[in-house]
Amino acid sequence: MDLFLQTLVNGILIGGILICLTIGFQLTFGVLHVIDFAVGGWTMLGGYTAYWLVTLAGIDPFISIFLVFALFLLIGRGLGPLIYHVRTSRYARPDLMALAFTFGIFLFMRGGALWLWSYNSRSVDSVLSGQFLSLGPVTIPLMRLSAFLLAMLFSLGLFILLYRSRFGMAVRALAQNHDHAGLMGVDVKRVSAWVYGIYTALTASAGVLIATIYSVNPSVGIRYTLFAFFVAVLAGLGSVGGVLVAGLALGLLEAYVATYIGARYSLLIVFGTLYLVLLVAPKGVLGRGI
Amino acid sequence: MSNELRVDNLVTGYGKQEIVHDITVSAPPGQITCIFGPNGSGKSTVIKAIAGLLPAWSGRITLGGTEITGLPVHTMVSKGIVMMPQGGGVFPRFTVMENLRMGGYALNNKQLIEERIESLIADYPNLQRRRNTPAGSLSGGEQMMVAIARALVTDPAFVMLDEPSAGLSPALVHETMERVVGLKERGVGVIMVEQNIREALPVADSVYIFAGGKRKFAGTQEDIRDDNHLMSIYMGGT
Repeated sequence: MDLFLQTLVNGILIGGILICLTIGFQLTFGVLHVIDFAVGGWTMLGGYTAYWLVTLAGIDPFISIFLVFALFLLIGRGLGPLIYHVRTSRYARPDLMALAFTFGIFLFMRGGALWLWSYNSRSVDSVLSGQFLSLGPVTIPLMRLSAFLLAMLFSLGLFILLYRSRFGMAVRALAQNHDHAGLMGVDVKRVSAWVYGIYTALTASAGVLIATIYSVNPSVGIRYTLFAFFVAVLAGLGSVGGVLVAGLALGLLEAYVATYIGARYSLLIVFGTLYLVLLVAPKGVLGRGI
Repeated sequence: MSNELRVDNLVTGYGKQEIVHDITVSAPPGQITCIFGPNGSGKSTVIKAIAGLLPAWSGRITLGGTEITGLPVHTMVSKGIVMMPQGGGVFPRFTVMENLRMGGYALNNKQLIEERIESLIADYPNLQRRRNTPAGSLSGGEQMMVAIARALVTDPAFVMLDEPSAGLSPALVHETMERVVGLKERGVGVIMVEQNIREALPVADSVYIFAGGKRKFAGTQEDIRDDNHLMSIYMGGT
């Protein structure tokens, strides 16, 4: 029973981070209709940025995460118009072109990281490393708890932005129809570019948390791209609310598989589950829409 | 007239295909200008070009003498031109109120938007009752009413309607035309693209008929003598 409870807590804590990892990806799909293959790449780069900030400047990852957020917000905002251009090109199948384009970005990131920083895994140290909180039978690493809370803070921030601001209203209108939003006075290109920036910022921030809990090396990207795909598809592509349910589900599933079956089976069982869920509910758990 | 919306010698189309060949239209302020024509005659294409949804290949579009050719779509609302796409273009996942607020997006003044919405919605008892219903679950006619009310939130000089009668029952077409006259009574200039000549002609102050991307007729409803005359214009005569 204790093990069961401990696993439940572990699963929820990781689930929160997976929500932060996927929520921006999902927003980008809902608004720009781009499936960004580079999602894991942004996660990896966020982790490396935190590593260098703590190694060179001594900034704790729980502080530097805000710097990473700001930095990647600007990077994504800068790259956004290019993504928008590829996605709205008049040539055949711009949806596939965008997928190929982001896959290219992903390979570039992975190759660049290998070249610059070699294959070694780097761990990101924090003052919270090795500290625990005991609640009855359950032991909670303070780092995971803080990471969970920060991930929730970022995700909540996104919801507030989406549902309580003028910008958020424009984003939600855009997710329904680009032309109609434009006719209402929404600068579609500009808002799309900011959406891409928000996505890269959220994803890189999730990368900081992931790198702090585990570690980071140039090939972690593909794993998190797969996880983001899993959560997004389970949630229903484009559904931001569904990510909350699907992220927790993946976190719990992974935790229980790791505890009771073995960590090496986790991807097999995770994607087997996705396959079965899609057979039953092809539109995802909450259906479409922001 | 000084504040008219003018299109001079417009050439445009989709992709590489030219649809509109050298068309000139002028819409006086505060009046209803109707553009009729069969499918593919370029009538919707012209108002899409005015709205900035399509680029003008050549020609000039002016509002009150100021050139607005090639301006991006999102700047049109603040110039005083609102376009209602076919079907109304409401946001299905937004409630009626959210749709109306979206209509005031360009104003960027919460209080002003809410005041305008309250005074507009008073004219629409059906919408009044369904404020918090997602627009996607309203009937086609109700969506059209949301779209018309929404077009007025910024108090525009011109509203352009792309086939407002499409897909509506005859009774609703009639109501929609009454609302269009209501726009004119508020002092709003209207450009309406329509296929339903029978319902739309009686409300028109000036009439254009397009066929094959060319202007075949320009005048007032009195200039159209009878159905045979109309038919002959449609079929490519003069």
